[in-house]
Amino acid sequence: MTFSRRNFLKAGFLSSAVFLMDGCNLFGVTTPIETIRILENDLFPQANKLHIKTAPYMEIILHHSRISKADKTFIKNGVKWLNEEAIALHHKSYVKLAHKERQEVLNAVAKTEWGESFIYNIMSYMFEAMLGDPIYGGNNKEAGWKWLAFTGGEPRPKKAFL
Amino acid sequence: MVDVCIIGSGAGGSPIAYELANAGFEVVVLEKGKNYTEKDFNKDELAVSRRDMFTPPLDEQKHIINEHNDDGTFTRYDGAESGWNFWNGSMVGGSSNLMSGYFHRLKPNDFKLKSVYGAIEGANVIDWAISYEELEPYYDKVEKVVGVSGKIVKHKHLEPRSSADFPYPELATNAVTKWFDAACKELHFKSIPTPRAVLSQNALSRNACYYSNFCGSYGCASGAKGSARAALLQKCSAKIITDAFVYKLESDEKKITRVYYYTKHGVRHSVRAKIFVLAAQAIESSRLLLNSKNKYFSKGMANSSGQVGKNLIFSGGGSGSGRFVFEKLTQTQQTELMEVGVFFNRSLQDWYEYTEKDKAQKGGTIDFLFEHQNIIPRVMKEVYDEEGHLLWGEALAKKVQKMLTTSRVLTFEVFNDWLPTDKCFVAVDEKVKDKYGVPVGVINLYGHLKDLEVGEHLAKKAVKVLQKLGCEEIDYSISSAPPPNLVAGGCRFGNDPKTSVLDKNCKAHDLENLYVTDASFMPTGGSVPYTWTIYANSFRVADVIKKHLGAFVS
Repeated sequence: MTFSRRNFLKAGFLSSAVFLMDGCNLFGVTTPIETIRILENDLFPQANKLHIKTAPYMEIILHHSRISKADKTFIKNGVKWLNEEAIALHHKSYVKLAHKERQEVLNAVAKTEWGESFIYNIMSYMFEAMLGDPIYGGNNKEAGWKWLAFTGGEPRPKKAFL
Repeated sequence: MVDVCIIGSGAGGSPIAYELANAGFEVVVLEKGKNYTEKDFNKDELAVSRRDMFTPPLDEQKHIINEHNDDGTFTRYDGAESGWNFWNGSMVGGSSNLMSGYFHRLKPNDFKLKSVYGAIEGANVIDWAISYEELEPYYDKVEKVVGVSGKIVKHKHLEPRSSADFPYPELATNAVTKWFDAACKELHFKSIPTPRAVLSQNALSRNACYYSNFCGSYGCASGAKGSARAALLQKCSAKIITDAFVYKLESDEKKITRVYYYTKHGVRHSVRAKIFVLAAQAIESSRLLLNSKNKYFSKGMANSSGQVGKNLIFSGGGSGSGRFVFEKLTQTQQTELMEVGVFFNRSLQDWYEYTEKDKAQKGGTIDFLFEHQNIIPRVMKEVYDEEGHLLWGEALAKKVQKMLTTSRVLTFEVFNDWLPTDKCFVAVDEKVKDKYGVPVGVINLYGHLKDLEVGEHLAKKAVKVLQKLGCEEIDYSISSAPPPNLVAGGCRFGNDPKTSVLDKNCKAHDLENLYVTDASFMPTGGSVPYTWTIYANSFRVADVIKKHLGAFVS
């Protein structure tokens, strides 16, 4: 399965608006895909260096029959909370911060229970995209596997398990 | 009416299907899962290991788990909320499709644990109703019919065998096994090639292992793995009905008359048979019996003793690991270390029995194997630094690449008895239902302290080998965490109908035509993975059922 721009526009949560609150007031609006794309690059820039796009895989995860509602909700909440932490620290949403400021936000949320879990979860899905079978749309031309001198098992899947 | 109806198509049910169908009897097998063949199996890590494609979604089918606390209370976990998954492989052939196939026999003393080692306070240890000698011909049969590869090495705990060696030669192994053997020799330990239910050459109308590098947890695409499906069900005419979830047994005073099942669309069907064989894996077999109350069996089918579900056991022990690093190896050794596909296949059984405080103690088995090749957990293992803080960015990338390309982890698994106790048992929760509206199983968990002592004793021996090999980051964990795929008990067999569910032939004491042939019958588990013993016992019971059906015919 591959991701076209059209699929993105059709997609649900990732391209829908998330309203960010600054205390009790509406601060701004962002889309989760924007945040996740920047966040995943901050967490593991090697993927981009290998020309692997990991963020679109989150669309599979958020619609996957085998991912629990609680886990999906946690991802959605995490995006919102990460942005709210960014606003609290730097008065800007996460994607509008400079690299150094985003690192400060990550360091701050990593010290919280939810933040550590959120970063861990995002990284695990990111590595699924980067190191899973290319049929899922990431791991472009097996670049992730080649980087780690890994050979995927045979036979390979003929279709993605959704 | 068919001759035999078998509930569950895994290692417990399939030998019965194979033997009875090939003897000309009409056999129906009801399997809750789907059918997959060699053509369907692939090595999709995301589907198999991350999304659990071979087990039911927990929000549809789950267990309630009560974990025993030291103060006598239980902590309750909802399987769906906690993600605690006790399913192992809902598919034709069951979880034998997904096993690694480490095949060890029980030893003669495993059949008489109480007589040999004595009673243990707080544990319900008993002798088996049969001896090793009675099961040996069937262990031998499994070697030949299912196919076991290996090489017999004489050692002090080698069990008596009727065949000199395995029918198939050892599988190919990594050169590091030579380092291992040398280390063991220096330590005066006896390194044993681990027997595997994986064909090392084309045989039995199946293809040899092609060393895919992804064996355990995955279905085998060549048919080399001796799954119940590849080795048995595909070679008999038993009718297999898939997507058939059996939810109730119906009986009169003496016999099971009918089993009811739901299709995946929730449509109800039933099967009538002369003989019924239950082999749904230990927890689900007890659950079905407990959910099948009627006016003759008010406590559950075959449960006049009140023993159904009791004395649930797992495999005691745990696991550990050490890391080979390039810095300590020559270039040749580095190349040898990183060769993938071929197996490690080494075991130690020097301490299957050992002496402590001048008393013989039951010990166990240690299997050594390379860390599973699934790449995502290997990478995720590196996301914390030494202080336990999350790593990301370039620092993480450097660490991941170094760890995965210039080192390799050797792991070990300890198998020792999980002592049966009153606190570890299966029940049902009348209020919590699965997607079919059937009460779910409740797994009450407790591990005896003795299990931990034995596990520690064995793990420390394994650590010595890793140290001798020059491994770094040596660590292990022995705990009472139950391995869901190594489960037995719940319908123990015995000669006294008041204290056991099944007789020595695994027929229910209470009913004339109900047999239970998964690992439920085992009163103690031995200190090895169970599959070989389940297969062997099921072949033994198949001979009994043949005679039973012969009596019907005559």
